[in-house]
Amino acid sequence: MAADEPLEAPSKRPSPFFHSTPLTGPDSLAILHLKRDSLLPLTLRTTADEGYAEGAVTNTRFGSFPHSTLLGTEWGTQIRASKVDTGSRGRKGKQHKEPPKDQGERSGPSNAASKDSDSSKKRKADESSQIDDVPTSPAKKLKQPPQQNEQPLVPKAAVEAGSGFCHILPPTPEAWTSSLDHRTQVVYTPDYSYILQRLRARPGSTIIEAGAGSGSFTHAAARAVFNGYPSSSSTSTQHSGKVYSYEYHEPRVATLRQELHDHGLDSIVHLTHRDVCNKGFALDASTPPPRADAIFLDLPAPWLALKHLTRSTPSAPLNPSGPTHLCTFSPCIEQVTATVSFLRKNHWTEISMCEVQHKRIDVRRDRVGLKEEGLRGVNASAASVEEAIQRLRDVESKLSVYHENRAAAEEGGQQKKIQSKAERLEKIKREAEGRKMYKEGNLVQRTEPEVRTHTSYLVFAVLPRVWGEEDERRCAEAWPVEEVMGGEAENEDGKKA
Amino acid sequence: MSTPHTHILPNTHLFLRLPSDLLKLIEIKPNTIIDVGKLGSFPSNLLLGRPYYFTFEILDKVNNEAYSRLRVVTPSELNAEVVTEDATPSESRGDPGTPVGEAYDLVGEDGTVIMKNNRLTIDDASRQALSQQEIEELKKSAGGKEIIQKILAGHAALDEKTVFAKAKYTLRKTKKYLKRFTVLPMDLGNLIDYVIVKEAPRIMELREEGLGLMMAWGHAHYSGTDGMEEKTAEQAVGGGRWLVVDDTGGLVVAALAERMDLLFKHERQQDNAAQGNGVTATLNGANGISHHQGDEPDAEKREQRTDDNQEVSDTPVKPTSHLDFPIPARTNTVTLLHPAVQPNVSLLKYFGYDTNQPDPLNPLHTHLKPLSWLQLLHPEDDVTYREPEREPDNVLRNWKSGKRGTYWKKRRRWERCKAIVDETRQGGFDGLVIASNMDPASVLPHTVPLVRGGGHIVIYCPAPEPLVNVMDLYSKERRTAYITHLSKGETPDPVDFPVDPRLLLAPTMQTSRVREWQVLPGRTHPMMTSRGGPEGYIFTARRVVPLEGGVQAKGNFGGRKRKAAEAAGMEGDQVAVVAGAEEG
Repeated sequence: MAADEPLEAPSKRPSPFFHSTPLTGPDSLAILHLKRDSLLPLTLRTTADEGYAEGAVTNTRFGSFPHSTLLGTEWGTQIRASKVDTGSRGRKGKQHKEPPKDQGERSGPSNAASKDSDSSKKRKADESSQIDDVPTSPAKKLKQPPQQNEQPLVPKAAVEAGSGFCHILPPTPEAWTSSLDHRTQVVYTPDYSYILQRLRARPGSTIIEAGAGSGSFTHAAARAVFNGYPSSSSTSTQHSGKVYSYEYHEPRVATLRQELHDHGLDSIVHLTHRDVCNKGFALDASTPPPRADAIFLDLPAPWLALKHLTRSTPSAPLNPSGPTHLCTFSPCIEQVTATVSFLRKNHWTEISMCEVQHKRIDVRRDRVGLKEEGLRGVNASAASVEEAIQRLRDVESKLSVYHENRAAAEEGGQQKKIQSKAERLEKIKREAEGRKMYKEGNLVQRTEPEVRTHTSYLVFAVLPRVWGEEDERRCAEAWPVEEVMGGEAENEDGKKA
Repeated sequence: MSTPHTHILPNTHLFLRLPSDLLKLIEIKPNTIIDVGKLGSFPSNLLLGRPYYFTFEILDKVNNEAYSRLRVVTPSELNAEVVTEDATPSESRGDPGTPVGEAYDLVGEDGTVIMKNNRLTIDDASRQALSQQEIEELKKSAGGKEIIQKILAGHAALDEKTVFAKAKYTLRKTKKYLKRFTVLPMDLGNLIDYVIVKEAPRIMELREEGLGLMMAWGHAHYSGTDGMEEKTAEQAVGGGRWLVVDDTGGLVVAALAERMDLLFKHERQQDNAAQGNGVTATLNGANGISHHQGDEPDAEKREQRTDDNQEVSDTPVKPTSHLDFPIPARTNTVTLLHPAVQPNVSLLKYFGYDTNQPDPLNPLHTHLKPLSWLQLLHPEDDVTYREPEREPDNVLRNWKSGKRGTYWKKRRRWERCKAIVDETRQGGFDGLVIASNMDPASVLPHTVPLVRGGGHIVIYCPAPEPLVNVMDLYSKERRTAYITHLSKGETPDPVDFPVDPRLLLAPTMQTSRVREWQVLPGRTHPMMTSRGGPEGYIFTARRVVPLEGGVQAKGNFGGRKRKAAEAAGMEGDQVAVVAGAEEG
């Protein structure tokens, strides 16, 4: 498929990114939240040809989830994993799929089948579902072809597994971004949220994005400019927001185009396979030029693309009647210097450069003290001077008891009991069960272990609209100043004194 | 077109950035005088209709005119003052100590470089030949450029200065004596810059990067579904409704409104689109905006409007929309919870929304839905929520029009209040955004249940401690303990569990700060100083619907030898949710 070739007609359904139905529905994009930072996008299917008795199934390291258990639930619901026979499906193949056992019992997740008490069986199911089937690329996963030629089979009802769960969430650009694999460097939320804010991207704006990459910024930009679907609002005079996205890497274009289509964003995002540095931003003759209000360049040499973004040519892709905001995203300082130098020579103003320093904060309870000895995730040293003294006295007294016992043993007298370390740990463990650990210790915060200390430098600039003598003359007529000036009104030779 | 800031419209607020880099907030009205302190004063008509982001120079008064005229300083002239010899990585050679090119050369109006010209050099032993008195004299007689030229010329030691020092000196003098300002539009970024210098606590020191993060994680966006074939009938869930607790004077509301296409009026944009050229549009505007004033409301119109519940959200203006108490929109709305009798959204007036002077053309008129905490939690105790007595038509007809007007006004106020309160209490919000001086731990128990499953929770706090506390209330240890209580059939102690810890997924705390850099050839480095103040922290989470009963976690439990129950309870890769039933 040629990368520039549009897919079938733009999707007519509302994008799941902008409109989430009350319940999850078939063929809609959903995000499986497995644990923090482990998100899996998938398209919910009623059927699939993967050979599972349950129909479409998504396997994760936290269990297998037949889509029948995910469909028709409230968004945000916690979903139990199911027992899925992942091992034998290859042998059965598509042809002789097990006939559906109990049609009548096909049930929603709320009254999923009863639990199996057989523990050995359970373990087996668990083991099999441990298979880590998380796809390497979310796109790949999304492209699972729906079942085509087979006669409709009634899938087997899902049977709950003993453990494992996930949450099903409606998609957002943030969730999509964190689920992306690194086809290219990803523009993450702290950066793109600030960039879109500074670019003054609003519903109805037009944004040019060059270097679409994995599509992280594309999704966020589409959300920012979205103010309705253009096909429908052709009658209204309202300008509908649009993202003009350019990418020169053909396979990436194809992947992103498919994703945008699946996400119902193809009427918002106009994706073009193009090397903008050499070829510029002009679209083919049938498409009007972008008329951009904002530009985001994530390119190795933004200044090469910037030479196509001037106001001098009539076919320029900029909005002629308003200011155009620019942001370039470059990891190296040399790129910044060259970009800024170019901007200064080419009528840009408000030039500034900055970097976004973002960190996530870990919050935990630090438990310190001798009573924590042997427990996990604690610091089992003395919490205070008093505790240290007490421990020293204990050791001292144990020693003297030991000597007393030795003496007693020689004389055949009564021996005193000394608490062994094992006994002490056992006691601590016993006591721990009754303690409210969740509110003990010091509540502390710290930066999370992994920090993205540098993402890229952001160069911002504004290109004001062109203002000619004719514009000024008309403006001076519309807003005369002679009366206010109180001077001679005949001084009409423009504003140059 | 798509941007509301194509050119300067009358009766709008905007900023003038002065040479000191301070912003001056003005409301521009036709045929008035704008006074910029010592820079001078000029007629507002000289700015009206002109584009934003232009820099103007205030010229000297001529021909006995009472005020100054302006000159547009072109971007090339502005940038020429920071001469940048090409410094692309491949071309930067020479020893690193030597800067590439000279910076901050003073350029004349005709583009000639003045600094090269030493015609005016005064040979004098003292460093600055001009006395303060002489400079004052000059200021009266000469223009800014001339003064700077002479000051520079009067500086005997200028040649001894390094290029960098000279550049700095020139820049300082330029800022001091050039009577220039830049016109910036009223948008959130500029407004934040303005307020944070003047009275930062008013917006809880919320910086632009923090606001951006909040809006992204809050998933704020336009939610009109016009044109999609199936317009879902009245639904309690979703519909693009955000719940806000805002103590930033309306900044957070404004940011949400901007992303939901509610902040700027559409008429202006359509005007422009129709006219094609911004300048001609202002010709019509010269007499000021003709405000559409709603007719005196009457009963028939009221009936008519009550049944158009399915108001399409992106058509904010209905001809029948009332000035005082409009029936609120149902989709694409911001519901604002406020602690006082009236909400404090004073910053919204800069965007044309003022509760004292309602403008039915403003989308917020119908799409901003305020209610007080009392109305949310104890509506029966609120006066506005109580239905005013209904009078039969024949009684009404005999009333004087003034009394009748008051009657209908009361009815309308009640209807609006009831609509907002009932809808809010029903819940199903798409998101909850909090930027409040109140303890979030006291806000969350009442608001989190009103958010739909999969909805977004965002809290901003200048200081970390309140959010650390919230993180702790939703910690996995506390959640596990909570579920254990439930599975034993116990009611968890509200002191230990002020919130239901099961309702939020992946609570995360983050902070972001932007670091500004100076970019000059050979002199690129971070700014030497910047604003301090609170870091500003953001808490995010998703609202989820927990399973009744229990669920056992699964994943890498560290050591294989550890007992399953213990592993599931404490160390699961996945947050463990232990059920008594399963353990038993």
